[in-house]
Amino acid sequence: MRRRTIIRRASVGLFATALALGIIVGCGMNETSAALGPEPASLGVLSARESNEAVTGGAQLWAQNCNRCHNYRAPASLSDQQWKIVLHHMRVRANLTAKEHREILRFLQAAN
Amino acid sequence: MDSKRTHTLIVVAALAAVVSGAAAQEAPKAPVSRAEYEKLRREVDDLKAQLATRPTIQPDQGVQPTRDALEETRMRLDALESLTADFKTSDSGFLMAGFASAGYTDSEDENSTFSAGFSPVFLWQFNDRLLFEAELEFGLESVDGEGETEVELEYANGSYLLNDYITVGAGKFLTPFGMFGERLHPTWINKLPNMPFPYMHHGGIAPMTSLGAFVRGGIPLGEAKGNYSLYISNGPSLETEGHHPGTLSFENFDDANDNKALGGRIGFLPISSLELGYSFQFADVDASTFDQDVDSFIQGFDVSYVREYDAIRGVIDVRFEWVFSDVDDAVFFDEDHGEFFTFDNTRHGGYAQLAYRPTQVDIDFVKNLEVVGRYDWLDVGSGVPDDDKERWAIGLNYWLTNSSVIKLSYQQTDVDNQDETGAFLAQFAIGF
Repeated sequence: MRRRTIIRRASVGLFATALALGIIVGCGMNETSAALGPEPASLGVLSARESNEAVTGGAQLWAQNCNRCHNYRAPASLSDQQWKIVLHHMRVRANLTAKEHREILRFLQAAN
Repeated sequence: MDSKRTHTLIVVAALAAVVSGAAAQEAPKAPVSRAEYEKLRREVDDLKAQLATRPTIQPDQGVQPTRDALEETRMRLDALESLTADFKTSDSGFLMAGFASAGYTDSEDENSTFSAGFSPVFLWQFNDRLLFEAELEFGLESVDGEGETEVELEYANGSYLLNDYITVGAGKFLTPFGMFGERLHPTWINKLPNMPFPYMHHGGIAPMTSLGAFVRGGIPLGEAKGNYSLYISNGPSLETEGHHPGTLSFENFDDANDNKALGGRIGFLPISSLELGYSFQFADVDASTFDQDVDSFIQGFDVSYVREYDAIRGVIDVRFEWVFSDVDDAVFFDEDHGEFFTFDNTRHGGYAQLAYRPTQVDIDFVKNLEVVGRYDWLDVGSGVPDDDKERWAIGLNYWLTNSSVIKLSYQQTDVDNQDETGAFLAQFAIGF
């Protein structure tokens, strides 16, 4: 019984330590203040060239990441808001990076 | 002289004809008789009387009812728009997705049968950081000859994007162990109609779902990329009796032994088309039937490579996974012989799969075809009351759309101490 208690506490402790370390390190390394894909309106703060580059990069990331597990879904198959939900879901499921999340979402919202 | 007189007479006659015609047109009409006058007067009086009895109509009086009806219609339209807005997914944080399938299996050692499944996935995005997701799984199962509809909560969890590199969450989730269970098991993604041995619901050795908490994320590493998942969950329980003694059950919803499993997966993508992963799970197993102290350690290694090549005018999809399970020796009870026994409880299994789809071929019918081959196996340690098994499967898929497919496959299964059996499987699967 004592052994089980030790293992349980060790597991919880290890998980909590890893989580705490991740939060501390991760917050220090944050590329952006928001870890998220942009609101559609925020595309307006980019210049036309930046916006085009982001969309092109997003298309490439979309092709690379989605096809790793399944066929592409056509951009036109969902609305801007629906893509926002789906990309959030896929970021968690497929461990997409924040940049991949942002740029793929930009591409899909621009191309649908 | 005579001719001049003749011309004069003709002119005079013509003038006379014209003047008489005009006089005839302008001739006054005959005077109205008294009777006619009286008749006309009576008619005018009657008309006046009828006009006097009709209600007076004001200029706005005919428009007002129309305005009222229009206003009522507009109000009803506003109410309907308000109602539909509540259900219009495109403007809300809710989305229903999922997948469904219908299949047919004709096996040499069992009766042929049809099957069906439906797995709706519900996604709620409360804000840009917070997401709740749940999947229900409806399936058909035959228990003791009775058909039953099996309903299962495959997963239900909330997750929060803490920052660029960390997502935390809790609930029931697809276990981030290997690749098949978490990413490839939906029927419209799985390239064959059934699942490889290590991930099968009965007798499988890899955890498919867990009840607990997780932390995960993706990290850019220059041109490469890394990802990680770490979780703590209710530990598995050990089957000490029944048909599959020694197998782990990961559906441990109340964690009877109050101990947790700790596991995770680390993935590395040196190039975008290649992913390598290592998974592990360590747990103190619930074998409380005999109050035993049993640990388990499961490891997995997975590789996936997906790339489109111009030279072969299509996409190749290569998958490989290997899972090793080591559970401490425990005491089991043989119900048939009424005696206790033990064995070296180690198992390993995996699969290798290759698929090719000629996406660059000009003929639509051909570019929608996909050929698949898979070899999977499950070996058990010496003394384990179960049999080694291996299976070869080949398949031909036709993609109706990017998320709907018809799969046809033939498989040959070899189980130790049994005859080799073949089976034909067909499945229609759709993702939505």
